[in-house]
Amino acid sequence: MNPRALQQAIVRMMFDPAFAAAVHGRRALPGLAEDERALLRGVDRRAFATDRFRRARAVQALVEEYPVSAAAIGLAAVDAFLSAPEFHACVAGRGAMALAFATWLKDQASGVGLIEGAMARLRRVAVADAPVPADALLCGPHFAALIVPAGTLDWYEATLAWLGAAPLRRLADHGPRPGLPRRGLTRRQGEEYLLLEARADGGMDLGTASEALVRLLRHAEQPRPRRALEAEAVTRGAAAHEAAEVIDDLLADGLLVTR
Amino acid sequence: MIAALHACARGPWRWAPGSVDLPAARGIGYLWPVPDFCARSERLPVLGLGVSTEYGASLAAGALDPAALRRARPDFGGFLEVGVEVARGLDAPARAWAAAGWPTTYHFLDINLDEPEDLDPAWLAGVRGCIELLRPAWLCGDAGLWHFGRRDRGQMLLLPPVLIAESVAPLAEGIRALREATGLEVLPENPPGSAFVGDLHLLEFFARVAEAADTGLLLDCAHLAMYQRLRGHAPLDGLDHLPWDRVIELHVAGGRERSDDGFQWVEDEHGVELLPDTWAIAEVALRRAGQLRAVVVECERNPLSAVLPLFTRVAAALPASFRPVPRDSLDGAHT
Repeated sequence: MNPRALQQAIVRMMFDPAFAAAVHGRRALPGLAEDERALLRGVDRRAFATDRFRRARAVQALVEEYPVSAAAIGLAAVDAFLSAPEFHACVAGRGAMALAFATWLKDQASGVGLIEGAMARLRRVAVADAPVPADALLCGPHFAALIVPAGTLDWYEATLAWLGAAPLRRLADHGPRPGLPRRGLTRRQGEEYLLLEARADGGMDLGTASEALVRLLRHAEQPRPRRALEAEAVTRGAAAHEAAEVIDDLLADGLLVTR
Repeated sequence: MIAALHACARGPWRWAPGSVDLPAARGIGYLWPVPDFCARSERLPVLGLGVSTEYGASLAAGALDPAALRRARPDFGGFLEVGVEVARGLDAPARAWAAAGWPTTYHFLDINLDEPEDLDPAWLAGVRGCIELLRPAWLCGDAGLWHFGRRDRGQMLLLPPVLIAESVAPLAEGIRALREATGLEVLPENPPGSAFVGDLHLLEFFARVAEAADTGLLLDCAHLAMYQRLRGHAPLDGLDHLPWDRVIELHVAGGRERSDDGFQWVEDEHGVELLPDTWAIAEVALRRAGQLRAVVVECERNPLSAVLPLFTRVAAALPASFRPVPRDSLDGAHT
């Protein structure tokens, strides 16, 4: 028997009554052998449900990191994440719940989901996940360049104000806030370009940036040779003789880094 | 288990590893022979009767101020067991206690011992920093699941280990690894819970862990009482499983009987009213644990006046071998 698989199944049973029911059901459960399942079935099902607020606390933790996304989709939808495959993958794969939530959100919260997902990632910056060629440059680990539907920043700021100091209570009392800007069917319906920076004090700065800068930084989300980024700068409107200086300035500001 | 008892009976300086070979999966290993736990335990101090805390606990309205307890009754506040979540660090009262030079133990609240990935360099650096400040006599803590997924916001919990034979080696390996990484003894504690999964009795499981990790044990009498009830055992069932000469620390605490949808369990409330089952276990444990060094009364959320009767009751049951707190350790400048 695999104790880790069993422990993960116990966690899922505690968070997800549907999974607990499935353990006691007839259909096969991937990743759980029959003898392991028999051990779980040997314990009174009610024993896994004694903490009535376990799921609510998880929702609260998610709303703390994704208040505006939660305002866009509503608390019932946030709660549904805890029964989703993305949550199960987080439990099984030593994941971070907040990052798994961003994966699950996809486009449900449109641009504000992208903003808050990027914030969650910046709060959890990992150092040197993968080997990078010595001469490669990439976007600074404390920055995220975002392309969102036009009007997203205004809606984000207005919704933060609407949520006030107690977002969870506001959402419980009022439900989702309508009017979320969504991507149009064509580019002509508008996009806006945002730059997010994680400050050293743990706070975040969010503001608009030029399309050229945002696209250049997004190009640098994968490690690129300096020549490739200079070429991208030219593609985005820099004069050829200015490209090296543009890259130098971005390096000086920490928007690009070597690793 | 008999083998473990014999191992300890062979004398205090048996220069050999423990009785179970574990795979050196992490590449961590002693470069010199290490005495077995029986020998190492000789160097563990007798801390006597003490109290527990965790970040911010003593600052809450109506909560116990450990320093006030120590000033009022030094024999009840012999040491402070500091519950540490590395991400939070140490609060001001814990720092002040340590700065006064008063004895401590370090109770971890954030390590899944059976997951090698959990002993990451950043966490270990944080642990070492707290050890530097606290100078604890040893590390201890519930040997269960402290978080699902990775250590992150909203992912903290505490579940007991899965009580099967296959769980023993990973847990023992984690205990050894943490001991080697910190240079301090690591005493696994039986965790609380409402759902215990597995075919081994809890005490048989921890006996196997202690032997495989060559370590001591922290027996939480209230947690054991919860387990016994949930599994339909009498309070003292299975006590013979335990290698009593490895039991270094005991916890006693009040619990609250709960019932929901016809299901009954005990909540680990850390109140001042002990359940009879808990007291029955504690009385036996105090008699049988011949190497006992410390007893913690967990009651951090209660005012001083409310906890004194419980401390008095526990103190009256302590074995004669418990030394009183030396007077010279009470002269710190804690305010």
